[in-house]
Amino acid sequence: MAVKFSDESLKKFEAIVARYPQKNAAMLPVLYLAQQEFGYISPEVMEYVSQIMDVPVARVLGVVTFYTMFNTKPIGRHHIQVCRTLPCALAGAERITGAIKEKLKIGLGETTPDGRFTLSEVECLASCGTAPMMQVNDDYYENLTEKNVGELLDRLK
Amino acid sequence: MEKILLRNIDAPDSQTLEGYRACGGYRALEKVLREMTPEKLIDEVKASGLRGRGGAGFPTGMKWSFVPKDNPKPKYVVCNADESEPGTFKDRLLIEKDPHAIVEGTIIAAYAIRSHTSFIYIRGEMFYGAQVLQRALDEAAGAGYLGKNVLGSGYDIDLILHRGAGAYICGEETGLLSSLEGGKGWPKIKPPFPATHGLFGCPTVVNNVETLAALPWIITEGAARYAAIGTEKSKGTKLFCVSGHVKKPGVYEVDMGYPFKKFLEEDCGGMANGRKLKGVIPGGASMPVLRADELDGITMDYESFQAAGTLLGSGGVIVMDESTCMVRAAWNLSRFFAHESCGQCSPCREGCHWIEKILNRVEHGAGKPGDLEKILSVSGNIGGNTICPFGDAASWPPAAFIKKYRGEFDEHIAAGKCTIH
Amino acid sequence: MDPVKITIDGREIVTEKGKTVIQAAEDAGIDIPHYCYHPKLTIAGNCRMCLVEIEKMPKLQIACNTLATEGMAVKTQSPKVLEARRAVMEFLLINHPVDCPICDQAGECWLQDYYMEHDLAASRFEERKEHERKREIFGPYVVFDGERCIKCTRCVRFLQEVTRTDELTVVNRSDHATIALFPEKTLDNPLSVNVVDICPVGALTDRDFRFKVRVWYLKKTPSICPGCSTGCNISVETYQNRIARFKPRVNEAVNSHWLCDEGRYSFHGLTEGERLTSPMIRQEGGLVAVDWDTALRAVATGLAANAPAAAILSGRNTNEEAFLYSRLMKQFVSDGGLEVFYRERELTEVEKILKSPDRSPNFRGARHMGVGSEAGVEPLLKNIIDGKFRSAYVVGEDLASLSDLGDRLKSALGKLSFLVVQDTRMTPTAALAHVVLPSTNFAEKEGTYTNRRGRVQKLNPALVAPAGALQDWEIFARLLGESYDRPADIFAVLSRQLPAYAGLDYEKIGALGADLEAQHQ
Repeated sequence: MAVKFSDESLKKFEAIVARYPQKNAAMLPVLYLAQQEFGYISPEVMEYVSQIMDVPVARVLGVVTFYTMFNTKPIGRHHIQVCRTLPCALAGAERITGAIKEKLKIGLGETTPDGRFTLSEVECLASCGTAPMMQVNDDYYENLTEKNVGELLDRLK
Repeated sequence: MEKILLRNIDAPDSQTLEGYRACGGYRALEKVLREMTPEKLIDEVKASGLRGRGGAGFPTGMKWSFVPKDNPKPKYVVCNADESEPGTFKDRLLIEKDPHAIVEGTIIAAYAIRSHTSFIYIRGEMFYGAQVLQRALDEAAGAGYLGKNVLGSGYDIDLILHRGAGAYICGEETGLLSSLEGGKGWPKIKPPFPATHGLFGCPTVVNNVETLAALPWIITEGAARYAAIGTEKSKGTKLFCVSGHVKKPGVYEVDMGYPFKKFLEEDCGGMANGRKLKGVIPGGASMPVLRADELDGITMDYESFQAAGTLLGSGGVIVMDESTCMVRAAWNLSRFFAHESCGQCSPCREGCHWIEKILNRVEHGAGKPGDLEKILSVSGNIGGNTICPFGDAASWPPAAFIKKYRGEFDEHIAAGKCTIH
Repeated sequence: MDPVKITIDGREIVTEKGKTVIQAAEDAGIDIPHYCYHPKLTIAGNCRMCLVEIEKMPKLQIACNTLATEGMAVKTQSPKVLEARRAVMEFLLINHPVDCPICDQAGECWLQDYYMEHDLAASRFEERKEHERKREIFGPYVVFDGERCIKCTRCVRFLQEVTRTDELTVVNRSDHATIALFPEKTLDNPLSVNVVDICPVGALTDRDFRFKVRVWYLKKTPSICPGCSTGCNISVETYQNRIARFKPRVNEAVNSHWLCDEGRYSFHGLTEGERLTSPMIRQEGGLVAVDWDTALRAVATGLAANAPAAAILSGRNTNEEAFLYSRLMKQFVSDGGLEVFYRERELTEVEKILKSPDRSPNFRGARHMGVGSEAGVEPLLKNIIDGKFRSAYVVGEDLASLSDLGDRLKSALGKLSFLVVQDTRMTPTAALAHVVLPSTNFAEKEGTYTNRRGRVQKLNPALVAPAGALQDWEIFARLLGESYDRPADIFAVLSRQLPAYAGLDYEKIGALGADLEAQHQ
């Protein structure tokens, strides 16, 4: 199946490109748009982005794999990203990760069989004053405890 | 202490244009456009003594003055909102609570270098912050602070919000520019410098959020008032982000030159859980750690931190109490730098992981005699030898931890296990 | 030129404004060790090997990105520089498998060379090495070993900046950074193997050359690529009298640092296969071996008795050979009967970077020597097919195997009263001949080629011709009844006779060739 933006995304794509002084600069927002539409950035999506952005597909690959926020494989509906860097570590981030692993019965980089959660550890998310913390998809969850993190996960359907 | 950067944080609706204007917002921009030439504006900012708040502390007005006036190419200001230095979360507070101050400050900077298109580069993870900023930009455009002929002055400025996608190195100004150009966030070799060959090869100034957010106050209140605050070389106020084992972590605005111990003990409420202070990283994860016994007499400004063998950096204060394993802390940070090295320069790409692997071993009971000397040697071979300052940032923390807490590292190796936990 | 005076290691050097320290040093014969810097690619500055100490600068600077400025004092051997360089090599080797015994690059590996030069100690790295992709086929000729890669990005930049085909990129970051091809793509552009040449280590190697021979056993002979009339300068690298590979030789007036894949592997088709080692004459029952005198007498009488003759010289014959052949055959041919083989084909944009549209490296020189005309070989081939000749003397071209006219030429040549074929192997064309003369290939010859743009360049013999074969020039000389000791003597004669070549000799042509004067081109 050929990868192609929906009409709505195409309009957004055109608006994004028009916004920048040079088309190349639209690469990251266009990749976000593609990730939003296609779920993750497969080689087919990279080829499509390469075509519409007029850049070689190898360059798209280089960009996609450089950044942590582009997923090249399918991930769960809720991507749990627990910060592991020093300020969060001092506040017990490892215990939070442990609690999540135990509750969801998955390890780092793994997705629950129902496709609901994927668990990752990430580096500092600029929320050190409210450590430990995690990001789930777009949202930050701060001042976590082993108890409240479980309740939080229960609410994420 | 007068609040300059956090003046609007607690105001109702500080996020909105209405709320911001109620606090006197956009008066600075009006003043700049009505009364000041770009040259005069640059002089005013030079007179304020404002220095870059992203970590390097370079004088802001001087940075602007490096942009050639006669260069026919477009000129760009990029607001660096890629806040990623571990222990630092001040920009995020400003972004979420006072976005218009950032927008106004960025427009003022753009006017100073005669830019007509400029950018705010926000780290990708700050999705909420990006929404708040975008709303602020839309409101500002609606009110005529952005776009064609701003406030009837004849000055045109377009401001574009751009989201990063997860890479610490994009906080380094040339890495940021590479990223904004649609590529990997690879820092660029210098020369040429961004002031002449920056974004798309055009003259570019990259300023930190906190730097730009200080501009409206400096303009409305006057450079002299700003310069009257702080010390001789460190003017004005600075945001410090406090995390770790203190009673009241958070973002604090202090006058430059404020006593560091007093700050920790009084402003931050002292140590949490009644434990003793063991060490503190004063300026974000890449700055050398200070032992508890080194804090006497240190004041919170560029010179004093430097004299103490560390740097003010981004103002990320990470406080560690006596329960902290310093080997584990050093390993944690080395893992961060190993993960975030962009992979270009041989010393950084290979060396960061080498250090991480050794520290991992030492912390987990497999340390060997000679390991610590090796780390010191390897970190010495990274620092100063790379394209961008990341090499320094990555090499200082492990070296500082070992030097300051040598006994604890030696004990780990001798005992063949972690001696703290 | 704006002169700039600098000192390197105390030695005063005059360079020009705009040059970097590494270029100024190179011009002065001082090698500053480096990996990522390549004179024909943009500056990456990532390997950090060329760090040098510059007076009044607190930090070491990379020589590849530091402009030489008046009065600059550079140190390339100070303790600080040597320590930084040692450290870079140590870093580059920590995840390297150190598999030199099975690595084709051994002997021409910059990691090895610099390691030896700097007399290094054993590695201090005791951790687990990161593993990377091994033996990944990148394309028809290029194979990748990720563990040996030092991420200098020369290959990536070559494909971005020279061919603009962008097949490779750096993926991931930190020590997971590696070179990669997009899934299911191949590195098969017409210049692809240049990435092997510029790879300073054993990460990209040549599949055709793989495991053939250790490079230190190779005999290297400077010569000219026989692939087309661009005349790329090459080193013919041989082992036990066989060509192991071609490598480009730098010549900014011709091919810069590059060589196309087709030219690079052209030696296979031109040198391999069973060789003719004796002249042969057709008798009842087929071709039988005879001695040279008998064969040459047969050629002389056969051509004289069977006019008109068609004469076709290979585009791979040298100027010296063409000069004699032209004089020889003018006795037997009429207008349009003497041509050098030359045909054109379509080239892609990438091919056009280096290739000419022919496979006749010396067609231009042959025409200068009087072999052929601007009309070209096509009318002559057509006339052969149309039966306009009674005899033919074909040198080095297998006309019967041409993809388009081969069958018709085979039939026409078979009907000639007298056919002489001079070649290295028993080709289908040779099989039709009345007299077969065993000769030499481009790699066995000394002589000159004049490339498409009028540059005269020297071929040197890299291989010894098989016993029984004669050099083409020798055959022509004997048929002419002339005697030369060596090709240089023939060149001396032709340079006296042809104004365009006046004043040239082998010494002037040298290793890099000499342009004919513009008015004669």
